Amino acid sequence: MNTVARRLSGHLARGTAMIWVVTTISFLIIRNIPGDPVRGQYEKLIEQGMAPDQAERATAALYGFLPTGSLWSQYTDYLNGLIHFDLGQSLSTPGTGVATLIGSAAKWTVLPVLGGTLLSFLLGVTLGVYAAIKRSGRLGDALAISGSLLHGVPQYVIGLLVTAIFTTLWPILPAGGPVDIEFDPGFNAPYIASLVQHATLPVLTYALASYGGWILAMKSSVATVLGDDFILAAELRGLKRGVLFRYIARNAILPLFTILALSLGMLFGGAIFIETIFNYPGLGLLLVNSIGARDYALMGGTFLVITVAIVVANIAADLLYAVIDPRVRAGGAA
Amino acid sequence: MTESFAPGVRVRDLTVVYKTPAGELPALAGVGLTLAPGTITGIVGESGSGKSTLALSLLNAVQPPGRIKEGSVEIDGLGDVVKLDGEDLRQVRGRKVGYVFQAAQNSLNPLKTVGKQLLDLGRSHDVADLQALVRDARELLGRMGLDGARVLDSHQHELSGGMRQRVGIMLALVLNAHLVVLDEPTTALDMITQATILRIVRDVHHERGLTTLIITHDMGVAAEVTDSLAVMYGGRVVEHGPTTEVLGAPQHPYTQGLIRAIPRLSGDIDEARALPGRPPTLGTMPREGCVFRERCPLRMDVCDTVDPAPVTRGERTVACHAVGHQVSPPRRKEYA
Repeated sequence: MNTVARRLSGHLARGTAMIWVVTTISFLIIRNIPGDPVRGQYEKLIEQGMAPDQAERATAALYGFLPTGSLWSQYTDYLNGLIHFDLGQSLSTPGTGVATLIGSAAKWTVLPVLGGTLLSFLLGVTLGVYAAIKRSGRLGDALAISGSLLHGVPQYVIGLLVTAIFTTLWPILPAGGPVDIEFDPGFNAPYIASLVQHATLPVLTYALASYGGWILAMKSSVATVLGDDFILAAELRGLKRGVLFRYIARNAILPLFTILALSLGMLFGGAIFIETIFNYPGLGLLLVNSIGARDYALMGGTFLVITVAIVVANIAADLLYAVIDPRVRAGGAA
Repeated sequence: MTESFAPGVRVRDLTVVYKTPAGELPALAGVGLTLAPGTITGIVGESGSGKSTLALSLLNAVQPPGRIKEGSVEIDGLGDVVKLDGEDLRQVRGRKVGYVFQAAQNSLNPLKTVGKQLLDLGRSHDVADLQALVRDARELLGRMGLDGARVLDSHQHELSGGMRQRVGIMLALVLNAHLVVLDEPTTALDMITQATILRIVRDVHHERGLTTLIITHDMGVAAEVTDSLAVMYGGRVVEHGPTTEVLGAPQHPYTQGLIRAIPRLSGDIDEARALPGRPPTLGTMPREGCVFRERCPLRMDVCDTVDPAPVTRGERTVACHAVGHQVSPPRRKEYA
């Protein structure tokens, strides 16, 4: 257990450093985007007849740092806020905290993207095993081709196709929005039914778009394991089919776990195309809108959430790996 | 467990072909070989001579793109294993025929402890008393100089190459298979470990009354443990007989060349003479005539056109056109 604690503390230290680096870089980049809205706001207030020091205070109250302060003081103010878990105020939606905006967008991202990721992972991994075992047969070929094809088609094309099919040609599902507004939010059947209806197409699109990658990755991983000596050895020892299958699957799925953990971290970035197509108010849409509006605080906050999510997912993947792979558990180089 | 039943094995006209872009090429061409019950038979030959393919055939386990085209492998009590498939074949593997893999060092699932893999083996063959199985395994490992309890608790990566190889041997013996096939069991081991393992193989063989087949390219190993010795070349058994006779008075020119090529521990290294030329591969195997003729000092006209059939005199079988001329009458009497 001591090794786990040591591992974890090392990870946390590295993770924090990583988050700090990303925060700093994104702070600098955002500050250097042409069209500074803080200055703009400050100057607008002065134009409206406010005294400079008053305008400065008003802007400072709004943004959490002095608009006329040096880059360094803005940076330290920003970091100071972060340490107190204060992401600041949104500029494009005055009076609303960045954390609130991100929180409400996150729920529209996490569930559909999580659903889509897990669905495509399970589907892709299971079919990938068949594609590898039957790789010289017609079924294997068909599966591999379906994987390559879907892997090659961009998300937004799949999204548009899916929309065209299920909302126009065969209109059985709503075209956009997260939920019908006529239902009372809460734990009641019509509301949940409406949620599920609206989530179906985004989830389907996401699953179709990522399924190809999983099936191809799993196929090649299984093919590699099938060529390993210990599988032939297990066969020659007369192990039952089920046991043999578990030997193959468990060994083949190892490399995919890392990718899965990383893509779960990435899901906080939202699926920008999908959310745009389905008008789904998730994190991806929030990020795009914040960039358009030069909403520094919101941009910074969204980047930060994505960074933290990826760092956490990395740590989780590493710890999980130690559970499923004894070679890593031993603390060796592998 | 005291009941001892050593099965005899009769391989007849076994032809194994591998599918290549150039068509199906034979890795084994009509091999015949008999393993007498209760003996240790060795198979020697250069790489690519078909030793491992023959060993795998005993379990009907030739891997694609290879397949057994014709012939039979009769094992007492099991019948012709070439005709077995599915569940029947699976139950024979491991339970009736123990197999020590050529790459025994990589024959373990890296994600499971040896003990768990032992239990997988036991459950796969419906062993009722798993505790007894673990006890047997521990005892076998102990005899091979390992700490049984610790090894069963280890993963593959925690064991050295020699330890893994011994684990592979344990897994082949622990279910009390009466026919054991060892494909290069001591390759990649140091001399001392090799000697230990050979001693154990021989001890267990005698104790349990097994029929054992050892594939090796090491003449020393063959000389040390085998009762009878088969020499393979180009997918054929070219000579087979009691080990002492095959090594002491080799008849086939290939066997003679092999023995001349062994460097002696004491004496001049130059006395060892390498066999000229290279063994044929699947692609360069002559379609007709003797496969050894290109390297043969006794080559005759007939060798170019007729593949010599194995001729059995007494306990010895040789496939060579020249041997009939060589063997002098009194010598023949000796083996009659």
